[in-house]
Amino acid sequence: MALAVMLLDGASFHGGCCRHRALLSFLGPLLSNSKSYSSYRRPGAEPKKKLSWQNVDFSFKKSIDHLKTQLSLLKEESKDFLQGPGGHALRQHVLEQTRVLWQFRSQEDLNKWVISSDVEIGGKSKAYIKLGRNNQAALLYGTLNTEVPRDGETKYSGYCSMRSKPAVGSFNRKKYYDWSNFNTLYLRVRGDGRPWMVNIYTDPYFSHQKDDLYSYFMFTRGGPYWEEIKIPFSKFFFSSRGRVQDNQHPVWLDKVRTLGFTIGDKVDGPFQLEIDFIGLLNDRAHTEEFAYETYDKNTPV
Amino acid sequence: MTPQAKLIFTTSLLLGTTVTISSNHWVTAWAGLEINTLAILPLIAKSHHPRAIEAATKYFLTQATASALLLFSSMTNAWFTGQWDITQLAHPTSCLILTSAIAMKLGLVPFHFWFPEVLQGAPLITALLLSTVMKFPPMSLLLMTSPSLNPTLLTCMAIFSIALGGWMGLNQTQVRKILAFSSITHLGWMAIILSYNPKLTLLNLYLYITMTAAVFLTLNSMKTTKLSTLMTAWTKAPALSATLLLTMLSLAGLPPLTGFLPKWMIIQELTKQNMAAAATMISLLSLLSLFFYLRLAYCATITLPPHTTNHMKQWHINHPTNTSIAILTITSITLLPISPMISTII
Repeated sequence: MALAVMLLDGASFHGGCCRHRALLSFLGPLLSNSKSYSSYRRPGAEPKKKLSWQNVDFSFKKSIDHLKTQLSLLKEESKDFLQGPGGHALRQHVLEQTRVLWQFRSQEDLNKWVISSDVEIGGKSKAYIKLGRNNQAALLYGTLNTEVPRDGETKYSGYCSMRSKPAVGSFNRKKYYDWSNFNTLYLRVRGDGRPWMVNIYTDPYFSHQKDDLYSYFMFTRGGPYWEEIKIPFSKFFFSSRGRVQDNQHPVWLDKVRTLGFTIGDKVDGPFQLEIDFIGLLNDRAHTEEFAYETYDKNTPV
Repeated sequence: MTPQAKLIFTTSLLLGTTVTISSNHWVTAWAGLEINTLAILPLIAKSHHPRAIEAATKYFLTQATASALLLFSSMTNAWFTGQWDITQLAHPTSCLILTSAIAMKLGLVPFHFWFPEVLQGAPLITALLLSTVMKFPPMSLLLMTSPSLNPTLLTCMAIFSIALGGWMGLNQTQVRKILAFSSITHLGWMAIILSYNPKLTLLNLYLYITMTAAVFLTLNSMKTTKLSTLMTAWTKAPALSATLLLTMLSLAGLPPLTGFLPKWMIIQELTKQNMAAAATMISLLSLLSLFFYLRLAYCATITLPPHTTNHMKQWHINHPTNTSIAILTITSITLLPISPMISTII
């Protein structure tokens, strides 16, 4: 880019024709560093100081280390592959009725989750996560603020969410969870009475479906006692970009990518949620396949 | 789906298959393949589940690319030789491009990545159609052009297909994906013998279709798509589970079941053609797929699960088993003793 500018400068010097200078001034914004001509930046977003391609590090040693890490990950994956589905023997896959997915006992358990709030769109909610007392739970706390950011296009605000980091295999390949053996999500939580939304994201292949989400609600009690909340997967409804869709269908559990908790109950004030562990359960008594729209849509004539 | 729509799509499938099989001009062959592709798309996407739509999209993209490549190869052949006859495929570049186009259509390695996902997204009967009926037209084109195809390329693709089909099917828990990998393995067996004895490819195709149809129809009547549901399917129809065991072992190629016949003939022909090393390699690689067939057989019949089922579809009153399942199962288990007669018929 800089070379092109120099070439054009040279051209204008040698040519001496004002046509070149006009061309240069026309092409100037395109050729210069795009910092001053960036596209619209949302109110809460930080200004981009360095473009992503300027962050590339050509250090040979670092790339060798990176390659070594990826190869060791690949070796682990091959060992797990030899064990059986999901890294365990088949008899475990067939017999297991409970599984603990995430439990919060140390900082690295917390690092598997990402916190976000409406600060991204310019709102004023705050959300933090830390380990609870005696390192026995994760404490997600903060303040919800429904004040709408004044950018002229946002109508609602006030949400905080915690989402699991998607699993990544060797060489940055996507890894999916296979929860097809189970039919209920099991959560041991201690809330403060506020309702939360549990979201499952299946990370589809095509980008047309990237906003698809399966959600359900988790109503917490405020008490000092821990609650065990069971949410069957048959209750999860399908929404896309926040809008509940007309065509409902059950969530397919063979390719799940992330699980998330969101609070957005339009009430200003502090919130707090302690999570001991998140697990899966195969509830033998739960026989419902899907809770919504179970009638026959196309009745045969 | 309304019966009229289903009728139109199934008739179009039959039409497309017939047009391609009976054509001797490349453009009619291509037209038949396109009719097939378009007709099966609504059948895959019938339930409008995002995964089904994803499967339909993936299927369309790969098959359209393959059709375009096929047309391109026939065009380059027409440019060099001046004619569009399918059996007169003379130019080596056209042969190479055609082989890769057909490999994409069938799901041979390295163009197999779409196959398990598409089968997983489709309902069981559509998956059956994808594995059986949709293999006919590309296979017939391969058979018609088999004298001009590059044996090295076919052998490489075949060995990798058998290897990858066996290896990747090992840890699957979804039955449709397992059957997709079984399909890739069988296609490898079909491809390796194509240049030497195309009749054995045809024999393998027919027997594979019989066995796969038996398996899919059995799974459809048990309404199972997962390994864990397969374990509790014996409660409703124990005899069906037992025949599923035998059909699975037949797919694996164990004597004295029918599935042994094509493997035996192919290994014999390869040895006669001085390809004993390839024959040994593919026999050893078939042990991988035997592992997952045995696993399916264990889950379906031999192992008793410690719990009852909570899969509601298995609680409903089941219809009496189809006659077609009975006929297909018997054919896929008991045909080995009459193999001399079969060899003369094919």
